[in-house]
Amino acid sequence: MANPPAKPTQQKVNEKMFAAYKPLAATYDEYFSGNSAPHPWTETILNHLESLGRDEFRARTQLASASFLQGGITFSVYSDSRGAEKIFPFDPIPRVINTREWKRIERGLKQRVEALNLFLNDIYGRQKILKDKAIPARIVLGSPVYRKEVQGIRPAKGNYIYVAGIDLVRDQQGTYRVLEDNVRVPSGVSYVLENRMVMKKVFPRLFNKVKVAPVEEYPTQLRKTITSTAKGTSMAVLTPGVYNSAYFEHSFLARRMGCDLVEGRDLTVVKNRVYAKTTQGLQRVDAIYRRIDDDFIDPAVFRKDSMIGVPGLMEAYAKGNVTLANAVGNGVADDKAIYPFVPEIIRYYLAEEPILEQVPTYICDRKEDLAFVTENIGKLVVKAVNEAGGYGMLVGPRATKREQSEFVKKVLAHPRNYIGQPLVELSACPTWFSRGPAPRRVDLRPFVLRGKDTWVLSGGLTRVALVQGSYVVNSSQGGGSKDTWVLTEEKP
Amino acid sequence: MISRVAEGAFWMARYLERADTLARLLYVNNNFVLDVDLENTPRWQPLVVVAGEEERFSKVIPKGSEDDGEAVQAFLTWNQDNPSAILSSIESARENARGIREIISLEMWETINSLWLWMRSETARKLYQKERYEFYLHVRNSCSLFNGFALDTMLQSEAYHFMRLGASLERAGQTVRVVDVKYHAMGPTGQSVEYPMEVAQWQAILRSCSAIEPYFKVANGEMNGVRIAQFLLFDRHFSRSVLRSLDRSWNFLQLIRSNGKSTIGKNSANLLKQLRSDLSKLHMTEVVKKGLHPTLTRIVSAVGEVCMAVQQDYFFAVPLEVRRSRATTTRKPGKRA
Repeated sequence: MANPPAKPTQQKVNEKMFAAYKPLAATYDEYFSGNSAPHPWTETILNHLESLGRDEFRARTQLASASFLQGGITFSVYSDSRGAEKIFPFDPIPRVINTREWKRIERGLKQRVEALNLFLNDIYGRQKILKDKAIPARIVLGSPVYRKEVQGIRPAKGNYIYVAGIDLVRDQQGTYRVLEDNVRVPSGVSYVLENRMVMKKVFPRLFNKVKVAPVEEYPTQLRKTITSTAKGTSMAVLTPGVYNSAYFEHSFLARRMGCDLVEGRDLTVVKNRVYAKTTQGLQRVDAIYRRIDDDFIDPAVFRKDSMIGVPGLMEAYAKGNVTLANAVGNGVADDKAIYPFVPEIIRYYLAEEPILEQVPTYICDRKEDLAFVTENIGKLVVKAVNEAGGYGMLVGPRATKREQSEFVKKVLAHPRNYIGQPLVELSACPTWFSRGPAPRRVDLRPFVLRGKDTWVLSGGLTRVALVQGSYVVNSSQGGGSKDTWVLTEEKP
Repeated sequence: MISRVAEGAFWMARYLERADTLARLLYVNNNFVLDVDLENTPRWQPLVVVAGEEERFSKVIPKGSEDDGEAVQAFLTWNQDNPSAILSSIESARENARGIREIISLEMWETINSLWLWMRSETARKLYQKERYEFYLHVRNSCSLFNGFALDTMLQSEAYHFMRLGASLERAGQTVRVVDVKYHAMGPTGQSVEYPMEVAQWQAILRSCSAIEPYFKVANGEMNGVRIAQFLLFDRHFSRSVLRSLDRSWNFLQLIRSNGKSTIGKNSANLLKQLRSDLSKLHMTEVVKKGLHPTLTRIVSAVGEVCMAVQQDYFFAVPLEVRRSRATTTRKPGKRA
């Protein structure tokens, strides 16, 4: 536990931490409004942080990083040949969301996930939306992650999406916009829980001053969600293994759900039923929270060279003998080339207007969009549609002419693989550096669990681009994270 | 429990026990070397021999320096090409722990992870240079802390039983090796005369097993090699003795086998039962007559066979049910929708 804070000396109190903080121009700041006054809901937090003083704050920041290292809360970066484990850099200044904003986000997320789940049911079923020409069939069925192997296989209760991570950003006006959907194997939730644990250790008193919605319930809810449509209660988390970049999270979730963490080789399929190889023989598995991509999950059906999958798993799944969370084939719902159609998807299935905005998107697969993107590459963010982790993207305004023209070549070679979006001036949040707080851009990944009921984790993972001027928040690209506080009472 | 996870628990405990034993040996040997003036008697090399690393060591050490204390310590502590080195054992223990993180407690994980981080830190290197005792003490303490946390914070179920089984079998083998250091240092043990030097050597061996005071409590002040060897091998109350370690292994194996009700693990149980019964029938005078070293070698390989049987019974084998169903059903190739 943290030692009780030293009583700040008079001098330290005077030396205000945030006095020199300057919000970025033309950017929404998470703590300060246009005239540099704090937002009403961040005032108490700011005052408390100020009252600690710089030295104390610095000491606590060190305490926080020591906790992460000792706890082995790490991820691996694949390009790093040493396979070194790295700590996900943690920033101690929380990102704060007020109650009213959050309620609206929560409704918007539920709506979006509900519509995407209906979309998957339809696409792998009768494909009514395509027949009605509400969205172009060519883009959907031409998606490299549309899995014809599961066409006609309906998972129990039509539940495709159990876990969704919907990435949100805020524009210059502070409006939340969906940047992308993740309904395959979204990761990052373990950091949400670990960050909160460390924050409580480092700033125990702050939690008495403001009411923050708890996040600890997530693993319990996850288990409940996944088993809610399963035939039995026996559940396992399926990981590619210790060398996977998110292994820590897989292990963390298995631990908190109290279920086995298995690798592909720990499972076997006998007569279309899935079993775990245990020290007492074979034991039936009813539900699998799988953290392996579709491509690798069953070498008998997908990639034959997969060493991490379970041969026969898809047949057991097709027979309804095992729940896979998330379902196979979900990629077609979060393909970045489908994303521009999500508002239409919401209208089509729910007959409602989308609650959350999104970012205008040019689909390079369309002739006129392609022309626009290649002509305006210097003003746009161009992304490969099926890559994650900040790989395969170009931030036009920050790229050299040469980088731009090389990227244009790639786009022209495979237009279906790319989309273009105007650069969103992501909101910024005060972030701690040894000299004091400075504004850095953030995004937000809330997590939605959808089984028999839908449940949204309060807040989510706030990622922060630690490099000055950067817009890329991914951990593999110099990003860090912050604890996200959803306030349940604005003023205590 | 998942076989792979059981295997991880078994090996994590074995590696840690190895690191612990070696740290004790090196810790004590430093002291011993200061205590007695042993001319023409190898004082350090035996540690390499019982670790089974003579060959590898001969490749890194210039001829004639085989008994150089600093070289031996560096080789057994830091050398990353030496799988028996303390650093390697800790690394392997930690790697196994990482692979089964979901079944060990947070306290256990933090202890082993901190030890690993520490071993790779500048602090550890400096301490090694400045205060050798403190250095080895830190390793030993961390291992004990880990074991203490295991007892206090981990679910006392199958994973724990596999851990303890691994640690106990490893300890049995390690204690045999420690006793064997004596052989390699002094040659075959004489029966009657105990030179002061030899007494000093046996005392060092006792201390390497943290056995000095326990030994005095049962030995009525007697200080001779045969009695000490008997104590370390066969005393049923001393935690690090070979027989006691095998008794403990038996108890944990029984727990894993639901008190013998399960047919799985029968092979391991039979081998272990045989070994315990063989050992309890041995008389020390007879052992000495036949030669201590050959007996020790036999025990080490018998313990090794038990370990192999545990691997076979629980970690490697495809369970019977699968074999049967694979033989009786011809599975059709996966039909694609």
